[in-house]
Amino acid sequence: MTPPLLLALAAAAITASVGLAGPRWSRWWLLLTLAGTAAGFAAALGVLVGNATWELRGGLTLGGEPVHLLLDPVSALFLVLICVIGAGGACYGREYWSDAHYPASAARGRAWWSAMLLCMGLVVTVSNGLHFLIAWEAFAVCGYFLIVLERRRREVRAAGWLYLAASHAGTLLLFVFFALLAGHTGSWDLGPMRDAPRLTPLFWLMLVGFGLKAGFFPLHIWLPSAHANAPSHVSALMSGVAIKMGVYGIVRFSGWLPMPPVAGWVLVTVGALSALIGIVFAFAQTDVKRLLAYCSVENIGIIMVGVGGSLLAVSVDEPVWGQLALAGALLHVWNHGAFKALLFFSAGSVLHATGTREMSRLGGLWRSMPWTAAMFGVGALAVSGLPPLNGFVSEWLTYLWLFDASSSARSVGLAAIALASAGAVTVASFVKGSSMIFLGTPRTTPAAHAHESGWWMRAPMLALAACCIAIGLGPVVVWPVAARAVSAWHPGWGTTSAPPALVTLGQVHVVLVMLLVLSIVTLFRQTRLNGLRRSVTWDCGFAEPRARMQYSAASFAAIVSGWFTWILWPQSVVRRPRGVMPSEALRVDHIPETVLERLVQPAGVVVTELSGAARRFQHGGLQLYVLYVLAGLVAIGTLVWVEGPR
Amino acid sequence: MSEVLDLVARLAFWLLLPPLLPGLINRVKALAAGRRGPPVLQLYYDLARLWKKSVVQSRVASPAFIAGPAVAWTAILAAAMLVPVGFVGTGLSFRGDVVLLLYLLALARFATAWAAMETGSAFEGMGAAREVSFAVLAEAALMAAMLTLSVQTRSVSLSTMLSPFPGPGALLLAAGLFTVLLAETSRVPFDDPNTHLELTMVHEAMVLDHSGPPLAVILHGAALKLLLFSVLLTESVLPIGAINPSGGLALLLVGVLTTTLGVGLVESLMARFAFRRVPLLLLTAVLLCVFALLVAWQGGSVTA
Repeated sequence: MTPPLLLALAAAAITASVGLAGPRWSRWWLLLTLAGTAAGFAAALGVLVGNATWELRGGLTLGGEPVHLLLDPVSALFLVLICVIGAGGACYGREYWSDAHYPASAARGRAWWSAMLLCMGLVVTVSNGLHFLIAWEAFAVCGYFLIVLERRRREVRAAGWLYLAASHAGTLLLFVFFALLAGHTGSWDLGPMRDAPRLTPLFWLMLVGFGLKAGFFPLHIWLPSAHANAPSHVSALMSGVAIKMGVYGIVRFSGWLPMPPVAGWVLVTVGALSALIGIVFAFAQTDVKRLLAYCSVENIGIIMVGVGGSLLAVSVDEPVWGQLALAGALLHVWNHGAFKALLFFSAGSVLHATGTREMSRLGGLWRSMPWTAAMFGVGALAVSGLPPLNGFVSEWLTYLWLFDASSSARSVGLAAIALASAGAVTVASFVKGSSMIFLGTPRTTPAAHAHESGWWMRAPMLALAACCIAIGLGPVVVWPVAARAVSAWHPGWGTTSAPPALVTLGQVHVVLVMLLVLSIVTLFRQTRLNGLRRSVTWDCGFAEPRARMQYSAASFAAIVSGWFTWILWPQSVVRRPRGVMPSEALRVDHIPETVLERLVQPAGVVVTELSGAARRFQHGGLQLYVLYVLAGLVAIGTLVWVEGPR
Repeated sequence: MSEVLDLVARLAFWLLLPPLLPGLINRVKALAAGRRGPPVLQLYYDLARLWKKSVVQSRVASPAFIAGPAVAWTAILAAAMLVPVGFVGTGLSFRGDVVLLLYLLALARFATAWAAMETGSAFEGMGAAREVSFAVLAEAALMAAMLTLSVQTRSVSLSTMLSPFPGPGALLLAAGLFTVLLAETSRVPFDDPNTHLELTMVHEAMVLDHSGPPLAVILHGAALKLLLFSVLLTESVLPIGAINPSGGLALLLVGVLTTTLGVGLVESLMARFAFRRVPLLLLTAVLLCVFALLVAWQGGSVTA
C-alpha cells in the first residue's frame, strides 16, 4: 500500500477511535488506535525505507488556505516515534489508567490520547503556516487535558496551568513567526526558502517559540511539574514525543529557512548548558518522575548540540562532520523516545504498586517487581549512554563530530567536555534512581507490599527495552533512516552507506554482549561451585541493620549538589537532636525550581505590580476621564505645534 | 594469523600483568617506610585463594550483586583491549574508539556502584556516591586530555592518537592524567586503599560486602584499571609509536614502571585529602588538561 492510503487509514482509524473512548467500547478503542498507529508507522517506514517523499497539494481549502501535506524523511522519522510510543502507551494505559480504577477520567483519557496522536501526526505532516498553527495549538490543548486527567489534586491543576501558560507563550511567538514569514513571502505555504536572506532574523523567534515546547534550559520551566504530575503513560508521551515536536520545529525550519551564521554556535552553547544543568537538577531530585523529567532537559540538550553542529557545518561547509552531527541528533530523538518512555513506564509501574514517587520511601522492590526492576535497569543503562545499548550509539555519533570539529571549529571541544561531565552525572543519577527504588530493603510499608504489574503494562516495556537493545546491537540498520532524513534536511548530504566505524561499533557491541554473558555465567558457576551462604549485610558491626539506616536519595546526591548550589539553591529544613534523650530529629531537603521561582515568578510579580499601579488610572471618575482626554488633546496639540507644519 | 597472535599477546598482557602493579606499589611503600613488606606477587596468591573461596552474601542482595563485578571487569577488560600496547594491537583500532573507551569505563562504574547499592548498607552507599560524584570531574579531565591528543594528531582513533609526541603540552597532560589516574584507581590522596575505617573510604567501601570469586574479580579489575591508566598515561606523553617497535615496547614498560613508582611514592609521602578538598584537586586536573588542549589549539598539529 502507498503512503497516502496508509496515512488516510491511520487518520480515519484514530479519528474513529476518539468516538469509541467510552468504557463499553474500550476494547474497540484500543484496536482502532493500534491499527491507526500501525498504519501511520507503515506509511512513515515506507517513506524512510523507499526514500520517496509524498506530497499532497491543493484540492481542498481550509480556512481559505489550500491544504498542503508533506511526508518527507524528516517528518517520517518523527511520525515513527509518535506511532510507536502512541501504541505502547495505549496498551499501557489500559491497565494503568483503567476504567475500574479511574471511572471518571479513563474514558476522557482515551479520547484525548487519540486526539493528541492525531494532532501530533498533523503537526509533522502539514506544510502550511496557518494549518501548522492550528494543529500545533490543538496538540498543545490535548496535552493539557491529558496532564490534568486527575484534576482533583491541586498540584496537578497547577502543573497543567503552568504547562498551558508556557505552551501559549510559545504559540504566541510562533504566531508572530509564521505571520512574519507569510508577510515576507506573500503566502502561508511552507517549503525550502533558503535564498531569502531577509528571513534570517526569524531564527530567534523560532528558537524561543519551539524551544519552549522542546524544554531546553532555561525554557524548561513547565516541564518538571507537568511530567511528574501527569499519569505515567502521559508522561511517557509528553517526554518521549511531545517535547520532540519542538525539536521537529527547530530541525524543520532550520533546514528550510536561511540561518544567521551565529545560529549553530547558539544551539551548541544552549545544548551543552542544557545538558549539564539539566542533569545536575535531575541528580538532585528525590521524586523519581521529576528526575526523569529533568533528564529530558539533558537529552534535549544533547540533541540541540547535534542540530547546532549541523548548522555550524553548513556555515563553514564541512559536510563530513555536519551529517554526523545531524544523524546523531536525529537518532537520539528516537533513542531518547524509546528509553525515556521505557523509564516512565517503569516508574509508573512503581507508582501503581506503591502509590509514591518519593525515592526515599521506596527500596528493595526488585524482589516483588523483578520485571519492572529489570526494565528500569535497561532504561537506566540506555539513558546513561552506556555501551552496548542505543543511547551510546547516538552519543557516540555526537562525540565523533565534536572530536572532528574541535580541530577546526575549536571551541566546540568545550561542548564535548561538558557532555562528558553530563554523562558522568547521568550515570550517577541513574545509579541513584535504580538503587533507591529497587535495591536494598523497603523503607516503608507500601514499598514492602508492592506487587508486579500485569501484562498490559509489562508488554510495552518489554517491547521498548527490545528496541533499546536492538538499536544498540545493530546501529547499521537504523543509519540509512537517519541518513535519508539528513539528506532531506540538507540536499547533497547524507550517505546511506553507514560509516565504517559505525559498522565496527555494532560488531564490537555484539562481541561485548557475548563477553558479558560469558563472564557473568562463569562467575555465577564458580560462586555456586564454591558454595554461597546468605547472611545479614555487614554494617560495621551493627547487629541488626534497619531500613532507615540506608543511604538516602538526597545524601547520595549531596556532593554534586554541593558543587552546584549556585544554581540549585537547595533548601533544607533541619531539626537537630537536642538534649540527653533527644525525642525527634529531622532533615528535609528540597530543590526548588530555580528558574521558575527566582526568575519567572519575580518577573510575574513585577508585571502584576506595574499593572496594579496602572489600574489606578481607571477608577470610574468621569470628571477625571474628561481631564485625560483634555490632557491628551493638549499633548497632541503641543506635539504638532513643536514639530511645525511639514 | 598475526592478528590472532596479536590478540593472544594483548590478552595475556592485560590478564597476567595487572596484579603485579599493586605488589610493586606496596613494595615501594614498604621500602619508603623502612619495612620489608609483603611479597611482590601477593595479589596473585590472594586472587588464586579468593577464586576458590565460598561466598557470603547479604540477604537483601539480588543476583545483580554477583553480576555487577562480572560486568565491571568485562567492561574494563574490553576498554583495555582498545588500547594498543606499543606496536601490538594498532591494527584493530577504529574511528571513535576513544569514546568507547571512556564509556566502557563508565559502564564499569555503573556496574560497581549498582552492586554496591545492592546490600542497602549506608557505608556502601557513601562509597558509591563518592565514586560516581568524583567521576564527574575525572571524566571531564579525561575527555579534555583525549581531545588534546585528537587535536594534535587530527585523528579520533587511539592507535594514531597515542603514538606521536603530544607537543609542548605534554607536561600539562602528564600532570593532569596522573591526577586522574590516582582518582580513578582510588589511590592516595583521593582514597586510602589501606584504611580500615569505612567512613573514609571510596572504592573499598563499595566492595565491603563482596567475598570469594566476585571479590577476586573486583580486585583483578581494579589492578587492570591501574595498568590501563598507566599505559594510557605513558602512551599519551611519550612518543611510543615514533621509535622502533622493541624500543617502543621497552619505553612503554619503563613508563608503566615509573608511573607505578610514582603512585607508590605519592602514597608514602602524602596523606589522604579531606573530602572537601578532593574536588579542588580534581578540578586542577581538569584545568591542566584544558590548558593542554589550549596549547594544542595554539600549537597546530604534529602529524605522525
